[in-house]
Amino acid sequence: MFASKRLGKSCPQLQDKLPPGITLVKADDFREWLMDIQVMDENPIYKGETYRLKFIFSQSYPIEAPEVVFVRNDMRPIPIHPHIYSNGIICLDLLDRQGWSPVHNVESVCVSLQSMLTSNTKNERPPGDEAFVRSNTQRPRDINFVFHDNSV
Amino acid sequence: MSSPADVDTVGGPPNSPSPLQIRASNSLNSKSHRAPLTKQPADLHLLEYVHEPDSNLVCLICHAPFDRPVQLFCAHFFCKDCLEHAWRAQHDGRKTCPTCRSSVDPDKDLRPVPKIVETMLDELLVKCPNAQAGCAWVEQRVNVHDHVMLYCEATLVECAQHDCRLHISQKDFHKGCLHYTVSCEDCHTSMMKKDLEDHQRTACANRSTNCPHCDTTLLRLHLDAHIKEACANVTIPCQGSIVGCTFTAERTQTNLHEKSCPMATMAPHFRDQQARIERNEARLEPLTRKVGILEDGLSSITNMLYPANDSSTTFPVTNPLDPNISYSFPPTNLIPTPDFRLPPASFPPVPHNESHPSQPPFDSQVHHLLTLHESLRDEVNRIANALTELDGRTNMMVINESQRTKDEMLHTNAAINGMRMQLHWLMSATLQQRNSARTSAANGSAGGSNARSTAQGAGAGAGASVARPGPIGDFPNGPLRRLSDSTRQDTKL
Ligand SMILES: [Zn+2]
Ligand SMILES: [Zn+2]
Ligand SMILES: [Zn+2]
Ligand SMILES: [Zn+2]
Ligand SMILES: [Zn+2]
Ligand SMILES: [Zn+2]
Ligand SMILES: [Zn+2]
Repeated sequence: MFASKRLGKSCPQLQDKLPPGITLVKADDFREWLMDIQVMDENPIYKGETYRLKFIFSQSYPIEAPEVVFVRNDMRPIPIHPHIYSNGIICLDLLDRQGWSPVHNVESVCVSLQSMLTSNTKNERPPGDEAFVRSNTQRPRDINFVFHDNSV
Repeated sequence: MSSPADVDTVGGPPNSPSPLQIRASNSLNSKSHRAPLTKQPADLHLLEYVHEPDSNLVCLICHAPFDRPVQLFCAHFFCKDCLEHAWRAQHDGRKTCPTCRSSVDPDKDLRPVPKIVETMLDELLVKCPNAQAGCAWVEQRVNVHDHVMLYCEATLVECAQHDCRLHISQKDFHKGCLHYTVSCEDCHTSMMKKDLEDHQRTACANRSTNCPHCDTTLLRLHLDAHIKEACANVTIPCQGSIVGCTFTAERTQTNLHEKSCPMATMAPHFRDQQARIERNEARLEPLTRKVGILEDGLSSITNMLYPANDSSTTFPVTNPLDPNISYSFPPTNLIPTPDFRLPPASFPPVPHNESHPSQPPFDSQVHHLLTLHESLRDEVNRIANALTELDGRTNMMVINESQRTKDEMLHTNAAINGMRMQLHWLMSATLQQRNSARTSAANGSAGGSNARSTAQGAGAGAGASVARPGPIGDFPNGPLRRLSDSTRQDTKL
């Protein structure tokens, strides 16, 4: 519906007034955006690294949550965190069906992820990371849903 | 709205409506009859605002100024539609405030917003939603509905032709159905009649137009080139900008400046250099890839040459070549061992990865490989010599040995001959005895047994060489068999 309208509206605004450590890399269309985030404090796990996020918007964004994953390339690793699988899938309540609210936006998601990294002290992957990464074929949104259900 | 059957009529000849029909459709009566059916009211979410709206008037869901806002119990505001949309998507059926997540009872907790907010929203200046189609209307938002539904010339309405369900802008409505294909007389592009005017005014490449900068009249298709290369009034940077000149002015002045600007004179050379660098880089890339492939090949060769574990090698030659162990070659007693070991290994034995940082440069690897090859060749030569020598010695040994055997054989033959003579003599002696026994019966039996035992003893002693005792007859079975054996052996000898 107004996904493109809203994204189109926020795009130019975003360029100018993003919080420190968050940059817009690519927003060519209203389906997929790339963002870079950095952890701004001295957390030794993430110091000096930049991580790349991929947002995929559905037609019904912002009513529906965007799909947000970390992506890897030569310069951008997947951050190590007990809620981030090594294939980039993030387990954050904000991003699953129940936790999402249409008042969130790209910027607020980035800020949440930034603070999630900042406050982390465990240099480890989630339990069962390897098996999960090997077998996973689901979309991140659906997985998070299942994951939460199981872990409750 | 429009079925394929209707579209079929588009390409056909124009069926202009009768004047009566036009008048009828223009009359207020018929318009008020048709308009609610055909005109789409403006979607307030999609309006373009003249000024950036106050953030307090913006819905957090659609990020546009509120459209028919409602206030929740928790004092959060949303557009009515946005809120309903969000609730429809909440799969557990719970209704919560999207901002603070407190639960909401839609029957009790939805309240109208204060009047002042509605007024502020109504007074926001917006552009006509048909601005793209050429309407320049700008006014307060509260009027947009009326403008679009009643007055806007660019609003789309259904075609006046009663069997044509396509849309046409309000201002062309009275012209009858314009949904037939025409060809632009200037550029011969095909399009619908209703689009022709627009095309000729703004897009047709073969129509003349004025340069927006210098008012020269020229064909639209030449406009881009004119602006880029010739227009005197276009602002361009100095050519030297690639080397750092910051001068920017209209073309005429820039041209003057460039005559005196040292950076502008240097610019072509820099451009040439740049192009050359790019060419070289382009050429470098496949080479890098090739080197990568070669390095891979090289490392697999190296892996073959340096087996991973040295203890299990069955071929001793590889041992001294292995730089990982200090292992002195076991000298085979006679051959002097040349020191063909390599200089201390300059080279990790298993360089898998081409981008491995500790890998020595490619050049030294080739060199190393050549050295390796050379020492291998030496080694092979040495082995060949050793083999020849060994061959000679073995031959010598074989000859000596066979000579000895031959001698022994001669001895044996001589001995056999001697025995044969003896036997012959004994036989004839026995025969003589028998002959004499016929004549004298008294000592016959003792002489016979005597002869028999003698014959048997000779058979056992000389082994194979007891010949032809056959004709003697009346011996028991055992010795007879033995005899046949000895006959065969006899023929062999
Ligand atoms: Zn809204
Ligand atoms: Zn609330
Ligand atoms: Zn208008
Ligand atoms: Zn028509
Ligand atoms: Zn044309
Ligand atoms: Zn011009
Ligand atoms: Zn200059």
